[in-house]
Amino acid sequence: MPISTKKWIRSAICTEIFLMLLFVLIGHRGAWGAVGCDLNDPDRDVARLFPESTGYKTHYVSVDRKGGQPLLTKIETRLGDKFHGIYETIDVPYTIYEIFANKKGIGYIHGVNQKGQFGGIQVFVVLDLEGRIRGFYIQKMTSRYAGKLRDANFGKQFIGLTIKDFDLYDVISGKASAKVEAIKNPVPEAETDFRAALRATKKNLILMDEFVYSAQ
Amino acid sequence: MITKFQVAYKNLQRKRTRSLLTLVGIALSAWVLVSLLGFNQGYEKALNQDIDNMGFELMIMAKGCPYEAATLMLKGGTGLKYIGESIMEDIAKEPEVDKAFPMLMSAVFDPNKGQSGGIAGYFGVDAKSFSELKPSLKFRQGKWFTSTDTYEAVMGYEAAELEQREVGDMILMPEKNVEFKVVGILERTGTQDDGTIFVPLKTLQKIFNRPNELTTIGIKLKKGVDSARFEEKLYKLPDVQVVSLAQVKDTIMKLISTAKVMVLSIASIAILIAMVGVINTILMSVHERFQEIGILKTIGAMPWDIFKLIWIETLILCAIGGILGIGLALILSKVTGILIRYVMPYAPSGGLVLIDLRLVLVTMAAILCIGLLSGLYPAWKAGRIRPLEAIRSEVAR
Repeated sequence: MPISTKKWIRSAICTEIFLMLLFVLIGHRGAWGAVGCDLNDPDRDVARLFPESTGYKTHYVSVDRKGGQPLLTKIETRLGDKFHGIYETIDVPYTIYEIFANKKGIGYIHGVNQKGQFGGIQVFVVLDLEGRIRGFYIQKMTSRYAGKLRDANFGKQFIGLTIKDFDLYDVISGKASAKVEAIKNPVPEAETDFRAALRATKKNLILMDEFVYSAQ
Repeated sequence: MITKFQVAYKNLQRKRTRSLLTLVGIALSAWVLVSLLGFNQGYEKALNQDIDNMGFELMIMAKGCPYEAATLMLKGGTGLKYIGESIMEDIAKEPEVDKAFPMLMSAVFDPNKGQSGGIAGYFGVDAKSFSELKPSLKFRQGKWFTSTDTYEAVMGYEAAELEQREVGDMILMPEKNVEFKVVGILERTGTQDDGTIFVPLKTLQKIFNRPNELTTIGIKLKKGVDSARFEEKLYKLPDVQVVSLAQVKDTIMKLISTAKVMVLSIASIAILIAMVGVINTILMSVHERFQEIGILKTIGAMPWDIFKLIWIETLILCAIGGILGIGLALILSKVTGILIRYVMPYAPSGGLVLIDLRLVLVTMAAILCIGLLSGLYPAWKAGRIRPLEAIRSEVAR
């Protein structure tokens, strides 16, 4: 058999192996993406939440992989509440969007799921490299007053806050530091969802602190 | 005494890289072939399962595109036209009908889903008849509605997880601004029911101002009834479309068959490549052992002995490659299923790639046959080597 034919056969075999690996990788991502809290339209949402961005990278992290049970216990202690339900298990994959401007990292976007009064809430925070909130976005919320809680004016109250400000926020009693106390609920009737949004924000910041900022 | 198998095995080991690459080629071809055939039977079984899980053989809906409506139903979507409840009462009286089930599907726009909003669907059912229709439905928590017109909801497994609901929690129907108390959460079924929110039929009719109206009637026929003949009978009803789930299945299978032919072509090419690889390996091996074969013949080996020796080499390559490929297909069957689900516009729930013992044996036999066919020419060529020519060729080499 001519050498070129042999080469062709070998390259065909290499292609098949590559395809096989691709199958495995796609399958793996698909299995993870099913239960995480992702942006609905990452390209559009990243550009909207980080207007100066030129690109982003997606990282999948779980408490299980990062530190297992000891890390979960630490996160629960910091949160002041136990994780419960299917979206707060140890193996929930968290999607962290690392944002770049001309190849330079400029911040992160991270979302978490939270139980609300009438359904699941998805709360995203937009963070700078120091972990300071520069944007707040509720992607999904079912409530009569969802419009007000998803309004930009409500989100603006979170800008500039860090995990240090939320450390003193008690997710059970609602007692907080002055800065968090200053966040006003625009709809008193939606107190449950307002408190859920605060708990989600604290959980979000703790997770980012453990996954990204403490590691740095 | 050393056997022909041992000699053949040792010969293959002489050029390990070449033999290994040929093995990989055969294994990958076997993998593609088994996965494809497994998909062939797995998809059909999963589709049948999905249709059986619906619990009825015929659906009646308002005139429109029946296939589109049926597909929407399979995917948990919504119907857009309505039929009167009286039609169901008439149908239920037919002697061929075992049971008839009323259903109302409605959708509302939820502006607070993402940036541009999303659709939330609700399925109005009569708890008593629906639980008869689907006796396999089990509750993870709670039970069916307490009455036919109460503001209660039963959630499918995934719907409850997505909304993080438990029995006793409330859900809100956006747009209509109506609250429901969650009274039951179903176990995972692997069907469209997992993502569905069920509410009482009468309540949904009231909310959407559709008194005595339905989107769909499900019909379960008595055993032994000719479905096609009864279908003809139903066509006489005014302004309704009759959809036989067997028809839906046939249509989907026809659509899938195009994709299957394409994949089968790719698999055929892969098998052809593997065949060429086997011929190449064995032919090269014969060529390199030209003189050695000549000596074997000089000391008494007959052409048939040489033929068998070379053929056994092919057999070993194909058997090991086939086993590896089938093993790979078994290990990766779930991943292949996930990939197919990812790329196909509609895939039924359940395993899409079904590899059973029969399929394994058929594939193995096919690979051995193809391999042995590939080995014919090199073995024949080796058997025809003349001893004198072979020994003389030493000078040339």
